[in-house]
This record gives sequence, C-alpha cells and structure tokens, in this order.
Amino acid sequence: MFRRTAVIATIAALALTLGACAGGSAAPDPTTSAAADADATLRVGLVLEPTNLDIRHTSGAALEQILVDNIYQGLVTRTQDNEIVDALASKHEISADGLTYTFTLQEGVTFSGGQPLTSADVVAAYTQVKDDETIVGHSDFADVASITAPDESTVVITLTQPNQNFLFSLTTPAGLVFAKDDTTDLKTAANGTGPFTLEDWKQGDSITFARNDSYWGEKAGVKEVVFSYIPDFSSGVNAALDDSVDVLTAVDPNLASRFEGTDFTITRGKTTDKAVLAFNNAAAPLDDPKVREALRLAIDHKALVEAVGAGQPLYGPIPELDPGYEDLSSLVSYDPEKAKSLLAEAGKSNLSLTLTIPSFYGTTVATYLVSAFNKVGVKLTVNSVEFPTWLTDVYQNHDYQLSFVLHVEPRDFGSTWANPDYYFGYTNAQVSDLYEKSLRTVDADESAKLLAEAAKIVSQDNAADWLYVGETLTAVSPIVQGFPTDSINSRIDLSQITVTE
Amino acid sequence: MTRFLLTRVALLIAGPLVASILIFLALRVFPGDVAQLIAGSKGTPAQVAQLREQLGLNEPLWTQYVDWIGGVFRGDLGTSLLTGSSVTEQLAEKAQVTVPLALMSMLVALLVGVPFGVLSALGRGKRSGSAISFIAQALASVPVIWAGMLLVIVFALWLQWLPAQGFPRGGWNHTPQAFASLVLPALTIGVVEGAVLLRFVRSATLQAMTEDYVRTAAAQGLTRTRALLRDGLPNVAISIISILGLQFAGIVVGAVVVEKLFNLPGIGRMLVTDVGNRDLPMVQGEMLTLTVVVLVIGVVMDVVHRLIDPRLREAS
Repeated sequence: MFRRTAVIATIAALALTLGACAGGSAAPDPTTSAAADADATLRVGLVLEPTNLDIRHTSGAALEQILVDNIYQGLVTRTQDNEIVDALASKHEISADGLTYTFTLQEGVTFSGGQPLTSADVVAAYTQVKDDETIVGHSDFADVASITAPDESTVVITLTQPNQNFLFSLTTPAGLVFAKDDTTDLKTAANGTGPFTLEDWKQGDSITFARNDSYWGEKAGVKEVVFSYIPDFSSGVNAALDDSVDVLTAVDPNLASRFEGTDFTITRGKTTDKAVLAFNNAAAPLDDPKVREALRLAIDHKALVEAVGAGQPLYGPIPELDPGYEDLSSLVSYDPEKAKSLLAEAGKSNLSLTLTIPSFYGTTVATYLVSAFNKVGVKLTVNSVEFPTWLTDVYQNHDYQLSFVLHVEPRDFGSTWANPDYYFGYTNAQVSDLYEKSLRTVDADESAKLLAEAAKIVSQDNAADWLYVGETLTAVSPIVQGFPTDSINSRIDLSQITVTE
Repeated sequence: MTRFLLTRVALLIAGPLVASILIFLALRVFPGDVAQLIAGSKGTPAQVAQLREQLGLNEPLWTQYVDWIGGVFRGDLGTSLLTGSSVTEQLAEKAQVTVPLALMSMLVALLVGVPFGVLSALGRGKRSGSAISFIAQALASVPVIWAGMLLVIVFALWLQWLPAQGFPRGGWNHTPQAFASLVLPALTIGVVEGAVLLRFVRSATLQAMTEDYVRTAAAQGLTRTRALLRDGLPNVAISIISILGLQFAGIVVGAVVVEKLFNLPGIGRMLVTDVGNRDLPMVQGEMLTLTVVVLVIGVVMDVVHRLIDPRLREAS
C-alpha cells in the first residue's frame, strides 16, 4: 500500500508538464465618450504572464506589452503603427552625418518614487546598456561611441558609424530610463516615470496598475487597470462572457464566434508576427534549393490563412509594419505538380521530414502542412515540444529540419537573415552586404529600398516559407473607449483609454 | 502495533528523501534552459553563459542538491530563479485555492461514490443496479477537461448559477464568491473521481454481502439489506479508507487540469507555469511538497485502517 502510494505520488508529480501560451495583438476606435468615469477600473484579460517584471534583464513580449509607456518610458517611443515619436524627450535632432543624436528632456518629469528626472539618469541607464552584457538590448548599442549630458536637460549620444536602427532600438526596453542609483527590486517592483504605477502583482493570477496622479503629462483616463492572466483560451472567452474582464486579447480565432450576438466588438490588429516555417538551410536535405522551392510550392497560403482564421499571407521576410516591406506575392505560387517534379529532379521523391513546433501553437498549422506535403509525396512527422525544448534544440543547437514559430520582433531582418549564425543557417553575402548598406544609410527611404532588395533575394532563395503574418483578435466591451488595435502584443498604451459607467 | 508505527515513520523519512533525489535528477535531465529563456531569442551565447553563471547553474550537481536539501531541512524550499520570491510563500498562497478545492472534490467524490456504490450493489441483477453501474463506467471514462467544459456550459453560461472561471482577487476575504468559484471545479474533479470510487464501493459491498456474518445476521431475522447496512458497511468503510489515499493523488492530478480550465491561481497552475519557465527551484519545491502530502495522507490512512479494524490489530 505504502510503496504504491509513493510511486503514484512521484509519477503524478513528474507527469505534470504542460506548455505555455503565446499572446497576440488588436483594438477599437478612440472616440471619447462624455460619460467617461475617471474612477473606473479597466479589466483586461491577457494570455501570457511575464516571468518576472525586470524588463532590464528579462526579454519577452509579455513584459514589454504592459510595462513600456505605461510604467516606464524612454526618450522616444513608437505608436501602435510603429512610428517613432518623442516621449521623455521633448525633441530630438539627428546630425546630417547620422552620427550625433541630441535629445532635449521634458520638463518637470519625476519618477514615481519622487526623484526628478535629469540627464544624469539617462546617461547612467544607457551607459549600463552599453557596458553590461546581461542587459536586454545590449547588442543594439554596439555602435555607440559616447553618451554624455552637456547640461541637466540635454543628452547627446554619438555613434561610431551611422545606424538606421538606433533610434528605433531606443523605443525598445533598451531605451527605457531608470532612476540613477535606484535600489528598487525590479523583479517585483517598479519606479518609473509613466502614467501608471505598479500596484500589485499576484503571481500566477493578475497584475494591477494604479493611475500615477503625479504624472508629468496628461493624466490617464482610468484609475486602475487589472490584467488577468488566463492561459486557457476557452476560459478567457468565459471570463469575458461572464463579465470578469472588459477586454480580452488575444482571442483564439477559432473561438471568436462565441462573441456573436454579444455586446463585444472584435477588432483585428496588425502585427509584425511572422509565422515562419524555417528550413534548416545549413543541413541536408534542405540545403538543396530545389527541395526548399518544392516545399513552398506545396503550400496554398490562402487556404492556410483561412484554416488559421486570422492573419494575412506574407511572401517575404518583412511585414507591412516594418521598413523595407514590399508585396512579394508574385514570387510565390501554389503548384503541387511542379513541386513533385522538382523533388524528382532532386532525387528526393520519397522524402521524410520532421517539423519541430512548440506545443502552444496548437495543431492547425502542423495538420495543414502534413496534408499539403503529403500531396507532393513528402512525409511530414510532427515533433511537438515545449517552448524551452525548442529554444535548446532548434534555436541554440540548430538540431532540426523544419521548424515553426512566430517571430514577433519588429525589424529583425538583420539579426535573422543577415546573420549566418542564426538558426535558419542562411548565408548569402549579397544579402548581408545589402543589409549592412541599408543599416549605414542615413536617408530612411533610401535605406528601406536597400532592405527591400535584400528581402526579395531571401524570398527568391526560398530560405524559408513565411506562412502568414499574424493578426491579433481583441474582444472589447462597449464600455471601453480608446483601446488600441495594432501591435498590442508588443505594447498596449493605456493612457488614452476611458471606461464609461 | 509499535513495530507497525515504527516502520511507517521510517518510510515517511526515507520516502521523501528518495523522492527528492528522483525529482532533482529528473529535472536536470529535462531539456530546456532557464538562462536561455530569460535571455530570449535575442540573447547572445555570451549573455546566456553569464546568466547561467549568475544563477548558479554551473555548480556541480551534488553541490546543487546538497544546497537544496540542506535548505529543505531548515524549512526553506528555496527561491524562484525568475522572481526571487520564496517557494514556501508562493506555495502557502496557492494552497489557499488548492487545499479547499481538494477537500471539496473529495467530499463530492464520497457523496457520489459511497451511496451510489452501495445502491448499485444492492440492486445487482435489477435495472436500477445496472443503470448505476453503466453511468459510473461512463463517468469514470470521461476526461476531466471535458466534464469541466460541460459543467461550465450548463451551470455557468446557460443557467448562470455559478461563475465560469476565476477566483476573487481578494481571496477568502470574499468568502461567498471564493466558495462559489470552487463549486464547479470541485464538481468536475469530484464526479469523475467519485465514479471511480463508486466501483470500489460496489465491489466491496458485493463482497460483504457474501460474508458469513451478514448471512448469520440475516438468519437471525434481519432483512438482507438491514443486515448489510448494520454489519456489512463498517467493513466496506475500511476498504474505502484504504483507497482514499490513492484517490487523493488522482485529485491532485485533476487539480492541475481543472485549475487551468477554470483559471484558478492554485498550486497545479503554478506548477505548470514553473515547469514551462524551467524555474527548477520552484518546480522541485512544489513536487516535493506534493509528494510528501500524498505520502503522509497514505500513511495516515494506513494507520487509521489499522486502528478501526480489530482483525489487523490482532494480526500484528
């Protein structure tokens, strides 16, 4: 009896391994209602909880999504359409040679702990990013030569060479400003300059923000925001339907129909989430261009998007919200017959491949690919793994044939396709050259053109298949105004949101 | 009896020690790296290596184990690699959801399993008995997650009697709401576990009906049913007690599924999240605690079993 109990207890405990969930992005239109309630609480249901709140040392969309712009701010930030605008800086200037960035700070800014913001805080925060390898975004500061403060309200950053991405990187966690010599434990507490303060974090349940009443700018429209983390998509919908949350994002497209006939509005937001079917370009059999081309020809992208239920086809590595986007649909077609003959030419008529996919992406994409590849004579085995296993096997060790994940980072062309060490195993000197040129070009339009050229080559090389670009479905109650729609898996600007009685 | 107790106490000490080694080793061969997760997909190999060093993941295995188990003996289960919060504190907080949930589930299981198990045995060969057996067989085969979804659709979304998900943020300060939010989850686990229990009760009752003492009582003029209720059921109770320990392990596994389904901030959901994050100190602390709880309950049931069954007492 006893021994059996012991064994069962251990097995029960060992067997409890499940996966996490991926977030998405969306929003309704910002018409301010006359009856907005300044004392209201906004309740938002999200999927993926941050692992901790230390945005300096922990990467992840779940932290960025809620903390950037709301709790912490940088000199500049970006709108939901990825346009760069000033935040803690009242203005910024870039010298004609693209090497000197001069920022003028807003006046009267204080941290929620009471300290006034000065240029010394910015210098300290940014110098740390440049010097400390463990800080998120360290590599984005590689071209920084100096960070100085000529006076209390001016910060000057000089670069060793022009960098088209530098200003954008200041809109990411690397650009956030923290109080100098602050001793706040950032893992569970916060001391920022934003319109909200961190009130409470009930781990495994919810995070609560309170309006920062001493905020330097226009005060937020709601008194309190509660983020409830609901990892199960179906129970997220239940939470919205039983009035436990006012907004739910992301809504699983397969469950969107449950909101029909309710007061909720479903918005569809643009994202930079590239659903990449990665080919291991560095290893047989996918080092063979014919095999890669055949696999792309076997995929009917429109049918796939329909099966997924959200998103748009994407035929190259750059999504619409990023510079360098162009419509590359002419490069890709659906032609299973041609795929078969290419495979025959390559001597790979009876090909067996394995797809490694993190389990939280569900089965829709994998099921579609199994049947699509089967039609051209390729037997696809699906290896569904937990995300940490994917990170080790695929991302770190490049031990895979095909892989599927959503690449959510905006402007990641350089770190992926122009990086031979990346798990894609893709090397093309022409692409790397074009990317390098685009990065060093000061004129933004000129730079984007070079980038588009590089992206086109990557797609022509069939270096991967971009199955679709994600859309985020958000369910918004009619009492909520101004909830953003686009890019909300990377940030949700809460300051303009109001709730009516 | 003394010898019996001593062996149980010895097992209670040795069991968790062995379990701790198994848990520790199983987690080290588990693929995935918390440092890589923290650094994310933009992290450089150098950054990951530095993080591993900072988190103490480069220490020899036995040093890590001794550090951990030494802490456990001092009542310190360690701290989370990710949040720095104490494993013990987190467990205590989440137990406020999971312990009441487990107790309520056990109660539901007993309310379903015992009366219907006895009725099913009494009605053997009749329609009522077959119907109960059939329903029990069907319920015992239902996946917990499916039972939960059905209950939500009927009682929360359709009838709107009970909340569909969640637990009040203020916890047990809002007692009625907290209680209401655990009813459907407890029913979900309890009905499925109760159906399993029902079959044990049924066979134990059938066994009792053939025992000599029931026949003797019947011969003295009691009806067969009354003889069974008076002399048979105490014996049925003894066999139920001995399987309740096992049922508890089933309830713990059910809690993991149900806490996700009903979005409850309990130990099961915490465990799933921590495994996903490869937060090893949290996972091993949680697993060791669960193992010890199940072991202790098993031993307590064993002892109770001895105490109430005079035949076993005499045998030792």
